[in-house]
Amino acid sequence: MLKLSNVEVKYAGVILVLRGVSLEIRGGKIVALLGSNGAGKTTTLKSISGLLHTELGEVTAGTIEYDGQRIDKLGPEEVAKKGIIQVMEGRQVLEHLTVEENLRLGGYIRKKKSLKQDLDMVYGYFPKLTRLRNSTSGYLSGGEQQMLAMGRAMMAHPKIMLLDEPSMGLAPLVVEEIYAIIERFNAEEATGILVVEQNARAALAVSEFAYVMENGRVVLDGSSAKLAENEDIKEFYLGLSKFGEKRSYRDVKHYKRRKRWL
Amino acid sequence: MEFLGKIVIAGLMNGSIYGLVAIGFVLVYKSSSVLNFSQGYMLLLGAYIFWFFKASLKLDLLPSLLLALPSGFLMGIAIERITLRPLIGQPLISMITVTIFLSLVLEGLVSLIWGTYPLEQITVFGRGSGTVGSIVLTTENVCAFGVAFGAMVVLILFFRYTNLGLAMRGVAEGHQIVQSMGIGVRRIFSISWGIAGVAATIGGILMGTTLGFQLGLSHIGLLAIPAAFIGGLESPEGAILGGLLIGLIESVVSGYLGNAAGVPATFVVLILVMLIRPYGFFGLERIERV
Ligand SMILES: Nc1ncnc2c1ncn2[C@@H]1O[C@H](COP(=O)(O)OP(=O)(O)OP(=O)(O)O)[C@@H](O)[C@H]1O
Ligand SMILES: [Mg+2]
Repeated sequence: MLKLSNVEVKYAGVILVLRGVSLEIRGGKIVALLGSNGAGKTTTLKSISGLLHTELGEVTAGTIEYDGQRIDKLGPEEVAKKGIIQVMEGRQVLEHLTVEENLRLGGYIRKKKSLKQDLDMVYGYFPKLTRLRNSTSGYLSGGEQQMLAMGRAMMAHPKIMLLDEPSMGLAPLVVEEIYAIIERFNAEEATGILVVEQNARAALAVSEFAYVMENGRVVLDGSSAKLAENEDIKEFYLGLSKFGEKRSYRDVKHYKRRKRWL
Repeated sequence: MEFLGKIVIAGLMNGSIYGLVAIGFVLVYKSSSVLNFSQGYMLLLGAYIFWFFKASLKLDLLPSLLLALPSGFLMGIAIERITLRPLIGQPLISMITVTIFLSLVLEGLVSLIWGTYPLEQITVFGRGSGTVGSIVLTTENVCAFGVAFGAMVVLILFFRYTNLGLAMRGVAEGHQIVQSMGIGVRRIFSISWGIAGVAATIGGILMGTTLGFQLGLSHIGLLAIPAAFIGGLESPEGAILGGLLIGLIESVVSGYLGNAAGVPATFVVLILVMLIRPYGFFGLERIERV
Protein backbone atom coordinates (compact mmCIF):
# COMPACT_ATOMS: atom_id res chain seq x y z
CA MET A 1 0.00 0.00 0.00
CA LEU A 2 1.16 3.50 -0.88
CA LYS A 3 0.20 6.14 1.62
CA LEU A 4 0.73 9.89 1.61
CA SER A 5 0.09 11.64 4.92
CA ASN A 6 -0.09 15.43 5.05
CA VAL A 7 2.55 15.83 2.42
CA GLU A 8 3.86 19.31 2.00
CA VAL A 9 6.13 20.09 -0.95
CA LYS A 10 8.26 23.12 -1.63
CA TYR A 11 10.22 23.92 -4.75
CA ALA A 12 13.53 25.71 -4.32
CA GLY A 13 12.88 25.93 -0.60
CA VAL A 14 10.31 28.69 -0.94
CA ILE A 15 7.54 27.88 -3.41
CA LEU A 16 4.94 25.99 -1.42
CA VAL A 17 2.99 23.80 -3.83
CA LEU A 18 1.47 20.95 -1.84
CA ARG A 19 -0.15 22.01 1.42
CA GLY A 20 -0.82 18.76 3.19
CA VAL A 21 -1.94 16.09 0.75
CA SER A 22 -3.15 12.76 2.10
CA LEU A 23 -4.12 9.87 -0.11
CA GLU A 24 -3.64 6.16 -0.41
CA ILE A 25 -3.63 3.40 -2.98
CA ARG A 26 -4.24 -0.14 -1.92
CA GLY A 27 -2.57 -2.88 -3.92
CA GLY A 28 -3.96 -3.54 -7.34
CA LYS A 29 -6.54 -0.75 -7.40
CA ILE A 30 -6.99 2.11 -9.81
CA VAL A 31 -7.22 5.46 -8.10
CA ALA A 32 -7.88 8.75 -9.89
CA LEU A 33 -6.47 12.13 -8.96
CA LEU A 34 -8.40 15.00 -10.51
CA GLY A 35 -7.88 18.73 -10.43
CA SER A 36 -7.52 21.75 -12.63
CA ASN A 37 -4.29 23.19 -14.02
CA GLY A 38 -1.72 23.98 -11.42
CA ALA A 39 -3.54 22.17 -8.63
CA GLY A 40 -0.42 20.16 -7.81
CA LYS A 41 -1.27 16.78 -9.36
CA THR A 42 2.00 16.32 -11.17
CA THR A 43 3.88 17.51 -8.11
CA THR A 44 2.09 14.85 -6.07
CA LEU A 45 3.23 12.14 -8.49
CA LYS A 46 6.78 13.47 -8.52
CA SER A 47 6.88 13.51 -4.75
CA ILE A 48 6.06 9.81 -4.81
CA SER A 49 8.42 8.81 -7.62
CA GLY A 50 11.30 10.89 -6.29
CA LEU A 51 11.55 12.90 -9.51
CA LEU A 52 10.91 15.92 -7.32
CA HIS A 53 14.53 15.80 -6.26
CA THR A 54 15.64 16.37 -9.83
CA GLU A 55 13.76 19.69 -9.84
CA LEU A 56 14.95 21.15 -6.56
CA GLY A 57 11.71 20.12 -4.94
CA GLU A 58 11.46 18.60 -1.49
CA VAL A 59 8.91 17.02 0.80
CA THR A 60 9.12 19.45 3.71
CA ALA A 61 6.49 17.92 5.97
CA GLY A 62 4.39 14.79 6.16
CA THR A 63 5.40 11.32 5.00
CA ILE A 64 5.15 9.06 2.00
CA GLU A 65 5.17 5.39 2.85
CA TYR A 66 5.23 2.36 0.64
CA ASP A 67 4.55 -0.96 2.33
CA GLY A 68 5.36 0.64 5.65
CA GLN A 69 8.70 2.14 4.57
CA ARG A 70 9.29 5.82 4.07
CA ILE A 71 10.24 6.66 0.53
CA ASP A 72 10.04 10.44 0.49
CA LYS A 73 13.79 10.90 0.84
CA LEU A 74 14.68 8.37 -1.85
CA GLY A 75 15.92 9.33 -5.30
CA PRO A 76 13.97 8.36 -8.40
CA GLU A 77 16.15 5.34 -9.15
CA GLU A 78 15.57 3.80 -5.76
CA VAL A 79 11.84 4.40 -5.88
CA ALA A 80 11.68 2.85 -9.34
CA LYS A 81 13.55 -0.18 -8.04
CA LYS A 82 10.93 -0.58 -5.34
CA GLY A 83 8.40 -1.02 -8.13
CA ILE A 84 6.86 2.43 -8.42
CA ILE A 85 7.16 3.78 -11.93
CA GLN A 86 5.95 7.16 -13.12
CA VAL A 87 4.78 7.72 -16.67
CA MET A 88 5.45 11.40 -17.11
CA GLU A 89 3.08 13.96 -18.52
CA GLY A 90 3.34 14.78 -22.20
CA ARG A 91 4.44 11.46 -23.78
CA GLN A 92 8.05 11.55 -22.87
CA VAL A 93 9.82 9.23 -25.25
CA LEU A 94 13.53 9.02 -25.95
CA GLU A 95 13.14 10.57 -29.37
CA HIS A 96 16.14 9.31 -31.25
CA LEU A 97 15.83 5.76 -30.01
CA THR A 98 13.56 3.30 -31.70
CA VAL A 99 10.35 2.05 -30.16
CA GLU A 100 11.91 -1.22 -29.16
CA GLU A 101 14.99 0.46 -27.70
CA ASN A 102 12.70 2.61 -25.57
CA LEU A 103 10.97 -0.50 -24.35
CA ARG A 104 14.22 -2.30 -23.66
CA LEU A 105 15.34 0.60 -21.50
CA GLY A 106 12.05 0.49 -19.66
CA GLY A 107 12.97 -3.05 -18.68
CA TYR A 108 16.50 -2.07 -17.65
CA ILE A 109 15.82 -2.62 -13.96
CA ARG A 110 13.58 -5.64 -14.25
CA LYS A 111 14.59 -8.82 -12.53
CA LYS A 112 16.16 -11.12 -15.08
CA LYS A 113 13.24 -12.43 -17.04
CA SER A 114 13.13 -13.07 -20.70
CA LEU A 115 13.29 -9.78 -22.55
CA LYS A 116 11.35 -11.21 -25.43
CA GLN A 117 8.52 -12.31 -23.19
CA ASP A 118 8.23 -8.81 -21.72
CA LEU A 119 8.31 -7.19 -25.13
CA ASP A 120 5.59 -9.55 -26.29
CA MET A 121 3.53 -8.63 -23.26
CA VAL A 122 3.75 -4.94 -24.18
CA TYR A 123 3.07 -5.61 -27.86
CA GLY A 124 0.10 -7.63 -26.68
CA TYR A 125 -1.34 -4.58 -24.95
CA PHE A 126 -0.36 -2.21 -27.73
CA PRO A 127 -0.51 -4.13 -31.02
CA LYS A 128 0.09 -0.85 -32.87
CA LEU A 129 3.59 -0.69 -31.49
CA THR A 130 4.54 -4.03 -33.02
CA ARG A 131 4.58 -2.64 -36.50
CA LEU A 132 6.50 0.42 -35.32
CA ARG A 133 9.11 -1.44 -33.30
CA ASN A 134 12.03 -0.24 -35.42
CA SER A 135 10.76 3.29 -36.03
CA THR A 136 12.40 6.31 -34.46
CA SER A 137 10.08 7.12 -31.60
CA GLY A 138 10.31 10.89 -32.08
CA TYR A 139 8.29 10.57 -35.27
CA LEU A 140 5.41 8.60 -33.79
CA SER A 141 1.98 10.19 -33.46
CA GLY A 142 0.91 11.56 -30.11
CA GLY A 143 -1.25 8.55 -29.33
CA GLU A 144 1.49 6.14 -30.29
CA GLN A 145 3.98 7.99 -28.13
CA GLN A 146 1.62 7.83 -25.17
CA MET A 147 1.30 4.10 -25.73
CA LEU A 148 5.06 3.79 -25.92
CA ALA A 149 5.56 5.73 -22.70
CA MET A 150 3.08 3.44 -20.95
CA GLY A 151 4.49 0.32 -22.52
CA ARG A 152 7.94 1.34 -21.38
CA ALA A 153 6.70 1.56 -17.81
CA MET A 154 5.00 -1.83 -18.15
CA MET A 155 8.36 -3.35 -19.05
CA ALA A 156 9.51 -2.77 -15.47
CA HIS A 157 6.60 -4.83 -14.11
CA PRO A 158 5.68 -2.06 -11.68
CA LYS A 159 3.70 -2.74 -8.56
CA ILE A 160 2.35 0.77 -8.79
CA MET A 161 2.17 2.87 -11.93
CA LEU A 162 1.82 6.63 -11.67
CA LEU A 163 0.14 7.83 -14.84
CA ASP A 164 0.16 11.54 -15.55
CA GLU A 165 -2.61 12.70 -17.88
CA PRO A 166 -2.57 9.86 -20.37
CA SER A 167 -5.39 11.51 -22.31
CA MET A 168 -3.65 14.83 -22.80
CA GLY A 169 -4.14 16.16 -26.31
CA LEU A 170 -5.49 12.91 -27.72
CA ALA A 171 -8.60 12.29 -29.82
CA PRO A 172 -11.58 10.82 -27.92
CA LEU A 173 -11.26 7.45 -29.63
CA VAL A 174 -7.62 7.15 -28.72
CA VAL A 175 -8.41 8.14 -25.14
CA GLU A 176 -10.97 5.36 -25.00
CA GLU A 177 -8.49 2.88 -26.39
CA ILE A 178 -5.83 3.87 -23.88
CA TYR A 179 -8.18 3.68 -20.93
CA ALA A 180 -9.39 0.26 -22.00
CA ILE A 181 -5.77 -0.87 -21.94
CA ILE A 182 -5.20 0.69 -18.53
CA GLU A 183 -8.13 -1.28 -17.19
CA ARG A 184 -6.92 -4.51 -18.76
CA PHE A 185 -3.37 -4.07 -17.55
CA ASN A 186 -4.60 -3.40 -14.03
CA ALA A 187 -6.81 -6.46 -14.07
CA GLU A 188 -4.26 -8.83 -15.60
CA GLU A 189 -1.05 -7.75 -13.90
CA ALA A 190 -2.57 -6.59 -10.60
CA THR A 191 -0.65 -3.34 -10.87
CA GLY A 192 -1.94 -0.50 -8.73
CA ILE A 193 -2.46 2.62 -10.80
CA LEU A 194 -2.67 6.22 -9.68
CA VAL A 195 -3.95 8.15 -12.67
CA VAL A 196 -3.89 11.93 -12.83
CA GLU A 197 -6.46 13.42 -15.14
CA GLN A 198 -8.25 16.51 -16.34
CA ASN A 199 -10.51 14.21 -18.30
CA ALA A 200 -12.56 13.19 -15.29
CA ARG A 201 -15.06 11.15 -17.25
CA ALA A 202 -12.46 8.71 -18.48
CA ALA A 203 -10.66 8.48 -15.16
CA LEU A 204 -13.77 8.07 -13.04
CA ALA A 205 -15.04 5.36 -15.33
CA VAL A 206 -12.07 3.06 -14.72
CA SER A 207 -11.12 3.95 -11.14
CA GLU A 208 -12.51 2.71 -7.89
CA PHE A 209 -11.69 5.69 -5.78
CA ALA A 210 -10.88 9.29 -6.61
CA TYR A 211 -9.42 12.41 -5.08
CA VAL A 212 -9.95 15.97 -6.23
CA MET A 213 -7.17 18.51 -5.71
CA GLU A 214 -7.31 22.26 -5.67
CA ASN A 215 -4.51 24.60 -4.80
CA GLY A 216 -2.24 21.97 -3.34
CA ARG A 217 -4.88 20.31 -1.18
CA VAL A 218 -7.24 17.40 -1.52
CA VAL A 219 -10.67 19.00 -1.37
CA LEU A 220 -12.87 16.04 -2.13
CA ASP A 221 -12.58 12.27 -2.16
CA GLY A 222 -14.83 9.29 -2.43
CA SER A 223 -15.67 6.28 -4.51
CA SER A 224 -15.51 7.09 -8.18
CA ALA A 225 -19.13 6.11 -8.70
CA LYS A 226 -20.18 8.55 -6.03
CA LEU A 227 -17.97 11.34 -7.29
CA ALA A 228 -19.34 10.90 -10.78
CA GLU A 229 -22.73 11.82 -9.32
CA ASN A 230 -21.41 14.77 -7.36
CA GLU A 231 -22.86 18.08 -8.55
CA ASP A 232 -19.60 19.99 -8.42
CA ILE A 233 -17.73 17.32 -10.29
CA LYS A 234 -20.44 17.13 -12.87
CA GLU A 235 -20.26 20.79 -13.42
CA PHE A 236 -16.53 21.38 -13.43
CA TYR A 237 -15.18 18.21 -14.90
CA LEU A 238 -17.93 16.40 -16.70
CA GLY A 239 -19.91 19.30 -18.05
CA LEU A 240 -19.16 21.82 -20.70
CA SER A 241 -17.65 24.11 -18.18
CA LYS A 242 -14.24 24.34 -19.76
CA PHE A 243 -14.84 24.97 -23.38
CA GLY A 244 -18.63 25.41 -23.46
CA GLU A 245 -20.23 28.44 -24.97
CA LYS A 246 -21.68 29.64 -21.72
CA ARG A 247 -18.25 30.04 -20.42
CA SER A 248 -18.46 33.43 -18.79
CA TYR A 249 -21.49 32.46 -16.78
CA ARG A 250 -20.02 29.29 -15.53
CA ASP A 251 -16.77 30.87 -14.61
CA VAL A 252 -18.57 32.92 -12.02
CA LYS A 253 -20.30 29.93 -10.51
CA HIS A 254 -17.12 27.91 -10.78
CA TYR A 255 -15.34 30.46 -8.74
CA LYS A 256 -18.00 30.51 -6.03
CA ARG A 257 -18.18 26.78 -5.73
CA ARG A 258 -14.48 26.50 -5.56
CA LYS A 259 -14.41 28.90 -2.69
CA ARG A 260 -16.79 26.70 -0.84
CA TRP A 261 -14.48 23.76 -1.16
CA LEU A 262 -11.49 25.43 0.32
CA MET B 1 51.83 6.89 -56.81
CA GLU B 2 53.93 5.12 -54.26
CA PHE B 3 54.26 8.34 -52.31
CA LEU B 4 50.51 8.88 -52.36
CA GLY B 5 49.87 5.33 -51.20
CA LYS B 6 52.29 5.81 -48.38
CA ILE B 7 50.75 9.00 -47.09
CA VAL B 8 47.22 7.68 -47.48
CA ILE B 9 48.08 4.66 -45.37
CA ALA B 10 49.83 6.82 -42.80
CA GLY B 11 46.80 9.10 -42.74
CA LEU B 12 44.34 6.28 -42.19
CA MET B 13 46.49 4.87 -39.43
CA ASN B 14 46.65 8.14 -37.57
CA GLY B 15 43.01 8.74 -38.41
CA SER B 16 41.91 5.56 -36.73
CA ILE B 17 43.57 6.77 -33.55
CA TYR B 18 41.90 10.19 -33.82
CA GLY B 19 38.62 8.39 -34.34
CA LEU B 20 39.09 6.28 -31.25
CA VAL B 21 39.90 9.30 -29.11
CA ALA B 22 36.99 11.19 -30.67
CA ILE B 23 34.61 8.42 -29.59
CA GLY B 24 35.57 9.17 -26.00
CA PHE B 25 34.88 12.82 -26.61
CA VAL B 26 31.50 12.06 -28.17
CA LEU B 27 30.57 9.74 -25.35
CA VAL B 28 31.12 12.34 -22.68
CA TYR B 29 29.27 14.92 -24.70
CA LYS B 30 26.33 12.64 -25.32
CA SER B 31 25.79 11.69 -21.73
CA SER B 32 26.48 14.98 -20.03
CA SER B 33 26.61 17.67 -22.76
CA VAL B 34 30.10 18.57 -21.59
CA LEU B 35 32.69 19.22 -24.26
CA ASN B 36 35.74 17.69 -22.69
CA PHE B 37 38.65 19.78 -23.89
CA SER B 38 40.99 17.92 -21.57
CA GLN B 39 40.64 14.75 -23.64
CA GLY B 40 44.10 15.29 -25.14
CA TYR B 41 45.69 15.50 -21.72
CA MET B 42 43.86 12.41 -20.54
CA LEU B 43 45.52 10.77 -23.52
CA LEU B 44 48.88 12.07 -22.42
CA LEU B 45 48.49 10.87 -18.86
CA GLY B 46 47.15 7.50 -20.00
CA ALA B 47 50.11 7.01 -22.34
CA TYR B 48 52.60 7.87 -19.61
CA ILE B 49 50.95 5.50 -17.18
CA PHE B 50 51.37 2.72 -19.73
CA TRP B 51 54.97 3.71 -20.25
CA PHE B 52 55.49 3.50 -16.51
CA PHE B 53 54.29 -0.10 -16.43
CA LYS B 54 56.10 -1.11 -19.59
CA ALA B 55 59.42 0.76 -19.24
CA SER B 56 59.84 1.55 -15.54
CA LEU B 57 58.43 -1.68 -14.16
CA LYS B 58 59.65 -3.62 -17.24
CA LEU B 59 56.43 -5.60 -17.54
CA ASP B 60 55.48 -7.41 -20.73
CA LEU B 61 53.08 -5.90 -23.20
CA LEU B 62 49.99 -7.76 -22.02
CA PRO B 63 50.28 -7.11 -18.29
CA SER B 64 51.16 -3.49 -19.03
CA LEU B 65 48.00 -3.14 -21.05
CA LEU B 66 45.94 -4.98 -18.45
CA LEU B 67 47.13 -2.48 -15.87
CA ALA B 68 47.05 0.63 -18.05
CA LEU B 69 43.53 0.28 -19.40
CA PRO B 70 41.79 0.00 -16.01
CA SER B 71 44.01 2.87 -14.87
CA GLY B 72 42.64 4.86 -17.80
CA PHE B 73 39.12 3.96 -16.74
CA LEU B 74 39.82 5.08 -13.18
CA MET B 75 41.47 8.24 -14.44
CA GLY B 76 38.27 9.16 -16.30
CA ILE B 77 36.09 8.36 -13.34
CA ALA B 78 38.31 10.28 -10.95
CA ILE B 79 38.33 13.36 -13.16
CA GLU B 80 34.56 13.32 -13.34
CA ARG B 81 34.16 12.75 -9.62
CA ILE B 82 36.63 15.39 -8.49
CA THR B 83 36.14 18.20 -10.92
CA LEU B 84 32.80 17.91 -12.66
CA ARG B 85 30.37 16.19 -10.35
CA PRO B 86 30.41 19.04 -7.84
CA LEU B 87 29.37 21.29 -10.72
CA ILE B 88 26.30 19.33 -11.79
CA GLY B 89 23.49 21.81 -12.08
CA GLN B 90 25.86 24.72 -12.75
CA PRO B 91 25.84 26.31 -16.19
CA LEU B 92 27.42 24.08 -18.81
CA ILE B 93 29.83 26.79 -19.78
CA SER B 94 31.48 26.60 -16.38
CA MET B 95 31.92 22.85 -16.70
CA ILE B 96 33.47 23.30 -20.11
CA THR B 97 35.80 25.98 -18.83
CA VAL B 98 36.85 23.63 -16.06
CA THR B 99 37.88 21.01 -18.61
CA ILE B 100 40.19 23.57 -20.24
CA PHE B 101 41.94 24.33 -16.98
CA LEU B 102 42.00 20.67 -16.19
CA SER B 103 44.22 20.27 -19.24
CA LEU B 104 46.84 22.46 -17.63
CA VAL B 105 46.59 20.57 -14.37
CA LEU B 106 47.01 17.21 -16.08
CA GLU B 107 49.97 18.44 -18.10
CA GLY B 108 51.48 19.86 -14.93
CA LEU B 109 50.99 16.56 -13.18
CA VAL B 110 52.70 14.66 -15.97
CA SER B 111 55.67 17.04 -16.05
CA LEU B 112 55.94 16.91 -12.30
CA ILE B 113 56.21 13.14 -12.25
CA TRP B 114 58.07 12.41 -15.48
CA GLY B 115 59.68 15.72 -16.36
CA THR B 116 59.28 17.63 -19.60
CA TYR B 117 61.72 15.72 -21.82
CA PRO B 118 60.55 12.91 -24.07
CA LEU B 119 60.71 9.55 -22.34
CA GLU B 120 62.98 6.75 -23.42
CA GLN B 121 61.68 5.20 -26.66
CA ILE B 122 60.17 1.73 -26.21
CA THR B 123 59.00 -0.84 -28.70
CA VAL B 124 55.51 -1.93 -27.94
CA PHE B 125 54.46 -4.37 -30.61
CA GLY B 126 57.80 -5.44 -32.07
CA ARG B 127 60.38 -4.23 -34.55
CA GLY B 128 59.56 -6.06 -37.75
CA SER B 129 58.46 -4.60 -41.02
CA GLY B 130 57.12 -5.83 -44.32
CA THR B 131 56.15 -4.48 -47.69
CA VAL B 132 52.89 -4.30 -49.56
CA GLY B 133 53.75 -3.63 -53.16
CA SER B 134 56.45 -1.06 -52.75
CA ILE B 135 55.11 0.39 -49.52
CA VAL B 136 56.94 -0.41 -46.32
CA LEU B 137 54.79 -1.12 -43.27
CA THR B 138 56.25 -1.50 -39.79
CA THR B 139 54.84 -3.91 -37.29
CA GLU B 140 54.31 -1.03 -34.90
CA ASN B 141 52.14 0.83 -37.37
CA VAL B 142 50.10 -2.12 -38.50
CA CYS B 143 49.43 -3.23 -34.95
CA ALA B 144 48.54 0.29 -33.90
CA PHE B 145 46.03 0.48 -36.69
CA GLY B 146 44.61 -2.93 -35.83
CA VAL B 147 44.22 -2.11 -32.16
CA ALA B 148 42.63 1.29 -32.83
CA PHE B 149 40.19 -0.20 -35.28
CA GLY B 150 39.42 -3.15 -33.06
CA ALA B 151 38.76 -0.86 -30.11
CA MET B 152 36.43 1.27 -32.18
CA VAL B 153 34.46 -1.71 -33.37
CA VAL B 154 34.15 -3.00 -29.83
CA LEU B 155 32.85 0.37 -28.64
CA ILE B 156 30.31 0.63 -31.45
CA LEU B 157 29.01 -2.87 -30.77
CA PHE B 158 28.85 -2.00 -27.11
CA PHE B 159 26.61 1.01 -27.79
CA ARG B 160 24.38 -0.82 -30.18
CA TYR B 161 23.82 -4.07 -28.44
CA THR B 162 24.44 -3.98 -24.72
CA ASN B 163 21.94 -2.70 -22.17
CA LEU B 164 24.52 -0.41 -20.66
CA GLY B 165 25.34 1.06 -24.06
CA LEU B 166 21.65 1.56 -24.69
CA ALA B 167 21.27 3.24 -21.32
CA MET B 168 24.09 5.60 -22.28
CA ARG B 169 22.28 6.57 -25.44
CA GLY B 170 19.11 7.01 -23.40
CA VAL B 171 20.80 9.30 -20.92
CA ALA B 172 21.95 11.41 -23.84
CA GLU B 173 18.29 12.01 -24.74
CA GLY B 174 16.79 13.03 -21.46
CA HIS B 175 17.95 12.68 -17.91
CA GLN B 176 14.57 12.81 -16.23
CA ILE B 177 12.99 10.22 -18.48
CA VAL B 178 15.82 7.82 -17.87
CA GLN B 179 15.68 8.41 -14.13
CA SER B 180 11.98 7.68 -14.15
CA MET B 181 12.88 4.22 -15.41
CA GLY B 182 15.19 3.62 -12.48
CA ILE B 183 18.45 4.15 -14.34
CA GLY B 184 21.10 5.98 -12.32
CA VAL B 185 22.24 8.93 -14.38
CA ARG B 186 25.30 9.61 -12.26
CA ARG B 187 26.54 6.11 -12.64
CA ILE B 188 26.17 6.43 -16.39
CA PHE B 189 28.13 9.71 -16.35
CA SER B 190 30.91 8.01 -14.45
CA ILE B 191 31.07 5.11 -16.82
CA SER B 192 31.10 7.43 -19.83
CA TRP B 193 34.09 9.25 -18.43
CA GLY B 194 35.71 5.95 -17.62
CA ILE B 195 35.31 4.75 -21.19
CA ALA B 196 36.56 8.09 -22.48
CA GLY B 197 39.61 7.56 -20.28
CA VAL B 198 40.20 4.10 -21.72
CA ALA B 199 39.80 5.32 -25.29
CA ALA B 200 42.23 8.15 -24.60
CA THR B 201 44.71 5.77 -23.00
CA ILE B 202 44.65 3.38 -25.93
CA GLY B 203 45.02 6.30 -28.32
CA GLY B 204 47.93 7.61 -26.27
CA ILE B 205 49.72 4.26 -26.22
CA LEU B 206 49.34 3.84 -29.97
CA MET B 207 50.54 7.34 -30.72
CA GLY B 208 53.37 6.93 -28.24
CA THR B 209 54.60 3.86 -30.10
CA THR B 210 54.94 5.82 -33.33
CA LEU B 211 55.71 9.36 -32.16
CA GLY B 212 57.46 8.59 -28.89
CA PHE B 213 56.20 9.24 -25.39
CA GLN B 214 56.42 13.02 -25.08
CA LEU B 215 54.28 15.94 -23.97
CA GLY B 216 53.32 16.72 -27.57
CA LEU B 217 51.02 13.67 -27.55
CA SER B 218 48.32 15.85 -26.06
CA HIS B 219 47.93 17.56 -29.44
CA ILE B 220 46.47 14.37 -30.85
CA GLY B 221 43.57 14.93 -28.52
CA LEU B 222 43.07 18.34 -30.06
CA LEU B 223 42.72 16.77 -33.48
CA ALA B 224 40.11 14.40 -32.11
CA ILE B 225 37.86 17.37 -31.42
CA PRO B 226 37.35 18.42 -35.05
CA ALA B 227 36.98 14.73 -35.85
CA ALA B 228 34.06 14.54 -33.44
CA PHE B 229 32.49 17.71 -34.83
CA ILE B 230 32.77 16.55 -38.41
CA GLY B 231 31.20 13.22 -37.60
CA GLY B 232 28.39 14.87 -35.69
CA LEU B 233 28.92 15.30 -31.98
CA GLU B 234 26.42 12.65 -30.97
CA SER B 235 27.56 9.83 -33.18
CA PRO B 236 30.31 7.35 -32.33
CA GLU B 237 30.22 6.07 -35.92
CA GLY B 238 30.54 9.64 -37.11
CA ALA B 239 33.53 10.11 -34.85
CA ILE B 240 35.31 7.25 -36.61
CA LEU B 241 34.57 8.71 -40.00
CA GLY B 242 35.63 12.16 -38.84
CA GLY B 243 38.84 10.72 -37.40
CA LEU B 244 39.77 8.93 -40.61
CA LEU B 245 38.98 12.02 -42.64
CA ILE B 246 41.06 14.29 -40.43
CA GLY B 247 43.94 11.80 -40.46
CA LEU B 248 43.81 11.51 -44.22
CA ILE B 249 43.67 15.23 -44.88
CA GLU B 250 46.43 15.96 -42.43
CA SER B 251 48.69 13.35 -43.93
CA VAL B 252 48.03 14.15 -47.58
CA VAL B 253 48.36 17.89 -47.15
CA SER B 254 51.49 17.52 -45.03
CA GLY B 255 52.93 15.19 -47.63
CA TYR B 256 52.49 17.57 -50.53
CA LEU B 257 52.66 20.99 -48.92
CA GLY B 258 54.93 20.37 -45.98
CA ASN B 259 54.32 19.40 -42.39
CA ALA B 260 53.18 22.79 -41.21
CA ALA B 261 50.20 22.78 -43.56
CA GLY B 262 48.60 19.59 -42.25
CA VAL B 263 46.80 20.80 -39.16
CA PRO B 264 45.55 24.09 -40.63
CA ALA B 265 44.11 22.11 -43.52
CA THR B 266 42.06 19.99 -41.15
CA PHE B 267 40.57 23.12 -39.66
CA VAL B 268 39.65 24.46 -43.07
CA VAL B 269 37.81 21.21 -43.68
CA LEU B 270 36.15 21.43 -40.29
CA ILE B 271 34.81 24.88 -41.09
CA LEU B 272 33.60 23.81 -44.52
CA VAL B 273 31.77 20.84 -43.05
CA MET B 274 30.21 22.98 -40.34
CA LEU B 275 28.94 25.38 -43.00
CA ILE B 276 27.40 22.67 -45.12
CA ARG B 277 26.21 20.31 -42.39
CA PRO B 278 25.93 22.09 -39.06
CA TYR B 279 25.18 18.82 -37.26
CA GLY B 280 28.15 17.06 -38.85
CA PHE B 281 27.64 13.98 -40.98
CA PHE B 282 25.84 11.80 -38.47
CA GLY B 283 24.75 14.28 -35.83
CA LEU B 284 21.24 14.08 -34.49
CA GLU B 285 18.93 16.67 -35.90
CA ARG B 286 16.27 17.97 -33.61
CA ILE B 287 13.02 16.19 -34.13
CA GLU B 288 10.35 18.80 -34.59
CA ARG B 289 6.82 17.61 -34.89
CA VAL B 290 3.57 19.02 -33.76
N1 LIG C 1 9.96 22.65 -10.82
C1 LIG C 1 9.13 23.60 -10.32
N2 LIG C 1 9.63 24.70 -9.74
C2 LIG C 1 8.80 25.64 -9.24
N3 LIG C 1 7.48 25.57 -9.27
C3 LIG C 1 6.91 24.50 -9.83
C4 LIG C 1 7.71 23.46 -10.40
N4 LIG C 1 6.88 22.52 -10.89
C5 LIG C 1 5.64 22.95 -10.65
N5 LIG C 1 5.63 24.14 -10.01
C6 LIG C 1 4.46 24.90 -9.60
O1 LIG C 1 3.65 24.08 -8.81
C7 LIG C 1 2.29 24.27 -9.08
C8 LIG C 1 1.63 22.95 -9.34
O2 LIG C 1 2.19 22.38 -10.50
P1 LIG C 1 1.82 20.93 -11.01
O3 LIG C 1 2.63 20.69 -12.22
O4 LIG C 1 1.95 19.97 -9.90
O5 LIG C 1 0.29 21.10 -11.39
P2 LIG C 1 -0.70 20.11 -12.11
O6 LIG C 1 -1.83 19.90 -11.21
O7 LIG C 1 0.01 18.92 -12.58
O8 LIG C 1 -1.16 20.99 -13.34
P3 LIG C 1 -1.47 20.56 -14.87
O9 LIG C 1 -2.82 19.97 -14.88
O10 LIG C 1 -1.42 21.84 -15.59
O11 LIG C 1 -0.40 19.62 -15.28
C9 LIG C 1 2.22 25.23 -10.25
O12 LIG C 1 1.84 26.49 -9.76
C10 LIG C 1 3.61 25.26 -10.79
O13 LIG C 1 3.93 26.54 -11.26
MG1 LIG D 1 0.48 18.15 -14.42
